Amino acid sequence: MQTKYLIIGSSHAGLTAAEEIRVHDQDGALTMVSMEDCLPYSPTILPYIVEGKVDEKLIYLRDEKYFTDNKITFLKGKKVVTVDTKSSTVTLDDGTKIEYEKLMIGTGSAPTIPPVPGLKEAKYHVLRTMEDARKINQAAETAKHAVVMGTGLVGMHAAEGLGKKGLEVELIRGRRRAVLPNYFDGNAGKLIHQVFLDNGIKCNLDFQVKEVESVNGKSKVTLSHGEVVETDLLLVGTGVKSRMDFLGDASGVQVDQGILVDTMMRTSVENVWAAGDVAQAADFYGDERILTAILPDAYEQGKVAGLSMAGDETVIQAFEEIGGQASESYRGGISMNTFNFYGNRSFAVGLSLVSEEDGFEIDTMLFPTSCMYQKLVFDGDFLVGAIGINVTLDPGVITNMIRYKINLQGKKAEFARSPLDMSRRIMWESWRGAIKTAG
Amino acid sequence: MGNAYNTLAVYPEKCNGCGECEKACAKVKANSTDVVHSRIKVLKSLEDGFFGPVVCMQCGEPNCVKSCPAGALSKNPETGVVEWNEDKCVSCTICTLGCPYAGIYYNPLMSTVVKCDHCGGDPECVKVCEPKALEYRPEASVYNDQGDLEDLFAPGLAACLGCNMEILVRHVLRHVGPDTVLAAPPGCLPGVCAVGFNGFTGSKVPSFHPLLTNTASMLAGLRRYYKRKGRDVTALALAGDGGAADVGFQSLSGAAERGEEILFVCIDNEGYMNTGMQRSSTTPYGSWTSTTPVGPSLPGKANDSKYMPLVMLMHDVEYVGTAVTAYIDDFHRKVEKAYQASKRGFAYLHVFSPCTTGWRYPGDKTMEVQRQAVATNIFPLWEYEKATGKLAFTHPVDNPASLENYLSMLGKFRHLSKEQIEHLKNTAAMRVNILKAMSEQGLAGYQNLKVAV
Amino acid sequence: MPEKIVLDGNEAAAWGARLAKVDTVAVYPITPQSGVAEALSTFIADGELQADLMDVEGEHSVLSVLQGAAFAGARTFTASCGQGLAFMFEPYFRCPNFRIPIVMGIVCRDGITPQCVWGGQQDAMTVKEVGWIHMHCENNQEITDTVVMAYKIAENHDVMLPVNVCFDGNFLSYAAEPVEIVDQDIVDRFLGEKNVNWHAALDPERPMGIDPLTGLTPEGGAMFSRYRRGQCKGMQNALRVIPEVHREWKEMTGHDFAPLIEEYRFDDAEYAIVVIGSMTGAGKDAVDVAREKGQKVGLIKIKTFRPFPVNALIQTLSKVKAVSVVDRSVNFGWNRGFLWQEIMATVPFLQKKIPVTSFIGGLAGTDITVEHMLETINVAENAAQGKVVEETIWIDQL
Ligand SMILES: Cc1cc2nc3c(=O)[nH]c(=O)nc-3n(C[C@H](O)[C@H](O)[C@H](O)COP(=O)(O)OP(=O)(O)OC[C@H]3O[C@@H](n4cnc5c(N)ncnc54)[C@H](O)[C@@H]3O)c2cc1C
Repeated sequence: MQTKYLIIGSSHAGLTAAEEIRVHDQDGALTMVSMEDCLPYSPTILPYIVEGKVDEKLIYLRDEKYFTDNKITFLKGKKVVTVDTKSSTVTLDDGTKIEYEKLMIGTGSAPTIPPVPGLKEAKYHVLRTMEDARKINQAAETAKHAVVMGTGLVGMHAAEGLGKKGLEVELIRGRRRAVLPNYFDGNAGKLIHQVFLDNGIKCNLDFQVKEVESVNGKSKVTLSHGEVVETDLLLVGTGVKSRMDFLGDASGVQVDQGILVDTMMRTSVENVWAAGDVAQAADFYGDERILTAILPDAYEQGKVAGLSMAGDETVIQAFEEIGGQASESYRGGISMNTFNFYGNRSFAVGLSLVSEEDGFEIDTMLFPTSCMYQKLVFDGDFLVGAIGINVTLDPGVITNMIRYKINLQGKKAEFARSPLDMSRRIMWESWRGAIKTAG
Repeated sequence: MGNAYNTLAVYPEKCNGCGECEKACAKVKANSTDVVHSRIKVLKSLEDGFFGPVVCMQCGEPNCVKSCPAGALSKNPETGVVEWNEDKCVSCTICTLGCPYAGIYYNPLMSTVVKCDHCGGDPECVKVCEPKALEYRPEASVYNDQGDLEDLFAPGLAACLGCNMEILVRHVLRHVGPDTVLAAPPGCLPGVCAVGFNGFTGSKVPSFHPLLTNTASMLAGLRRYYKRKGRDVTALALAGDGGAADVGFQSLSGAAERGEEILFVCIDNEGYMNTGMQRSSTTPYGSWTSTTPVGPSLPGKANDSKYMPLVMLMHDVEYVGTAVTAYIDDFHRKVEKAYQASKRGFAYLHVFSPCTTGWRYPGDKTMEVQRQAVATNIFPLWEYEKATGKLAFTHPVDNPASLENYLSMLGKFRHLSKEQIEHLKNTAAMRVNILKAMSEQGLAGYQNLKVAV
Repeated sequence: MPEKIVLDGNEAAAWGARLAKVDTVAVYPITPQSGVAEALSTFIADGELQADLMDVEGEHSVLSVLQGAAFAGARTFTASCGQGLAFMFEPYFRCPNFRIPIVMGIVCRDGITPQCVWGGQQDAMTVKEVGWIHMHCENNQEITDTVVMAYKIAENHDVMLPVNVCFDGNFLSYAAEPVEIVDQDIVDRFLGEKNVNWHAALDPERPMGIDPLTGLTPEGGAMFSRYRRGQCKGMQNALRVIPEVHREWKEMTGHDFAPLIEEYRFDDAEYAIVVIGSMTGAGKDAVDVAREKGQKVGLIKIKTFRPFPVNALIQTLSKVKAVSVVDRSVNFGWNRGFLWQEIMATVPFLQKKIPVTSFIGGLAGTDITVEHMLETINVAENAAQGKVVEETIWIDQL
């Protein structure tokens, strides 16, 4: 078959790209492929499915009608096995060939399995797809004990979910000796860790998994200090890697840890774009291209890709020729996340992990007994990062202060005193100002 | 065409920080007196007297919706409101990362995110906002109702930059539709191609140049014959103030008295702008025109304007309305009423229509001039319907804005003396008094009126 | 059987409109026309005429509503005179340019001032150059019949011009005569299908801009000229169509009226009088008397005054040596009658020049008697013998 636009992946990156394409081109043939045989959903929802917080039926992001209304051919349950950029053809696992004019790869990421002896051969779970969640839920019906490997978002979420299901949960760290080390600093990590402990999650950050073995349908997990834990359910959540195995060398698409893209989400090959977890794109802070693997970046990049694919190229080119950037282009990834655990809410954005030794000015406020923490990171007169646990700050307002590089000259102290009111006012005024200059 | 949406508009310069909106919101949304529950927040800074109501803007492309992994947020295509579905929400709060303005935020008392939902189209906060810093603007209905209708005028009319008439013509014609015959008596309108030039015309409905004097009569004959033939053709006049209030008045008055089924729109630009800005009977007192010049012996126009809307009301017609394009929803509402009324009898719509060229103001201020004219009661917005016998203000102004401010916007008034300004104020006040009396006591109010000037 | 009823001239005109089944009638009173308005109003009130009665606020609107109705496709009628005609002049002088076939009676009235509300042709003569077809009637039968025929002429696709059916105030408007009313179905057949706006309509089913600005550029100027030439062509065609219509009317009804001009007792005439309107009766009586006395006189009645029937007149005038022209109006500047001026304009087309004497009389509702007419005959006879009177002869001074 033939199509003008082909999008691989029907999650945040793919859906937003499709939406954007339809803004500019209402009729061009648009095809979306997903290897999963279901309507689009977000992997982020999966821990809540495991926890049982929300019904699986409710969480799909689009219905069939959306695809008919928007004239999108949605091929679900079809996996892309190869991409031939020379003939502009994609081959699916059932042998179907799709000829495209413009291709966007939004295949996200897949769990990495650490090189722990015996793990590959053993019975374990991961949590990336709905199918994975279903399998976990099935196993949890009879299981009494679970071991969760990894203290990143997936691991922490899953540990809480399984614990709430009534399982005895043992959480074991991956490479790094901390919880959520990608987002939260030591102070925050300690608070979060304590809450998990208080809620009956066993978690000693000193140990790692040394070896795994399957015995009588159970998993025998040997820890680094020698202790052996027998468990009914072993979940591996030790990180993700870009899903790009269908790109052979012959495709010519340059890859590093992910598919390398520019600020318009173009890959090194003409007519091929990539966005979301799979893409390795600009960093907000540095010149290196990075993987962020977070939801907000997926839709942001998807939108830029869609625009670049279907929008007015001359506008984009004109910007580039004068050495500027189209305002629609990708501004670079900023790390950001929210994390809600046992009724506590937290967020971390930007350079949240840095310290004063790195040359930053840091304002912290810590109330361990009430599990409250606030960290504001300044680089000169600019806010560059923040962490909040159980504080009333608006993560989006803070993020955008960072993104739009709001100058706080002379106002830093006041800002640190009442960041909520002041951040809201600053963003609010910047919006009114933008309107004023635009008018 | 897509949808446009009604808006909860915020005018921070009017906000006095009273916080009534927060109380009202907390009450209606959580039945609580704790304003933590309010979805609208008033930012306050006592240091510099800053007040700014913050509330969800119901973005066109809401990032909160895109951020939601649970499908719990969606933009309602009908209302434009970004809706939050409690059953789907898992409280991950990723949505709050997307919003730069705290339009959606975490309510710790409810352990969930909350956001404004416009109270289903009738926001409580607006009702309690004394200084009118919050307004629920329904202009979107204009786009939704009219957007798909054909623009019955060709693009690129030859009007001056900033001309109000072009907006007016396009909106009126679009509204009344193609089953219309348009009479455009001499003036700018036919000149910019409503009827055409050397064989080309700018309008897609049948249109003609009546005489300046006989617009209402020609339409009357036309409408009557179509009616006799069983055809419902709208007879539409878009006439200037000269063609309505001066030399065209006799035929207008006659047609009104006979109840001819005509929709007569007077585009009042307060003079003969097309022929070079001469005075007409609707030129205001004191105004400069090229025939009421300002010099040592003459201070501009010596008489008050003829207040046509009341004159027409006294003809006992089906409908009289005053309108401006700057309040386009109100404008369309009145066009609709006038249109309906014109199927039963005579309908008269008097539109205050500033002329950038003749009044001497920059073309980008056309809307502002209209709004100021309304705000100062120089041009009060009201309507009268014979069916109900009621005269009603549609944009009541109890505390008129500064007239000096309005006059200073317009070159034609720049020379006015204090006394002249006082005179204009009195005239405006007197007219509003008459209208008030009529709106409160019906038409009898006019007789009972004791006007203090 | 056609019925004969006694009608005054105003009623006769109204009957013509009734027979033509007009759709829109606009009325506004003025002496001596009011009877037309009243008669039409009564027809409509009694359901004998299915038309819109537009009782408007002045003559200006009278003609204006008819213009609107005509563009919508209506057959239209009204009548006026004198000051009314003066007041409606603005829309009046636009009708022919619109090429809309309105028919309007002019119940001829003298012009003020001095103040006067009685007959005279000053009104009709003053507006004759504007482009309407003008036909003057001699009696009430001719009024009824001419109104009907006027529609057939005006609506002829080669003509498309408005028609004034003129008849004298007082003398015809108030004079009662028996009038034979032709059967309605004959009139229906005679007039046939109505289509008055095939060329220019204000109709959403056929959208067009009526009367756009024209001129200024060479192309625009050429367009304007084209319209003007078209109007002239319509007038020219009317000279062909008017006799055709009269012939057809005669065939269908037996009513015989001269379409352009009428020659009376012209067989061996050596001189003639030229008359127009209701004075024709007195003129014919005078010719009969003179003939008895042996004077070789004939009479020329001008029925169609616009377009002016030059060719017909050339033939007629060629037969005589001198003419007296009787006018009921004054052309200031020439200080003679309007009709005199038209005859004078025709004389150069004759083989040999003939003397033309101007008589002015019957102003302000006064009578032109047989005696007056005999005097005009005598003057013509003398002129034919070389005794020419150069000055205008005012009949009241005879
Ligand atoms: C348990 C869990 C919790 C998370 N929590 C958070 C969080 O709190 N905050 C946050 O910001 N992010 C979180 N994330 C990450 C977030 O879900 C991802 O960043 C986001 O989903 C990336 O979107 P994407 O469109 O790039 O790819 P994905 O969501 O991974 O979707 C990839 C799509 O591609 C399809 N696909 C892949 N390969 C093929 C193929 N070969 N052929 C056809 N189709 C293919 C898949 O079917 C799918 O439709 C979480 C992820 C997980 C798994």
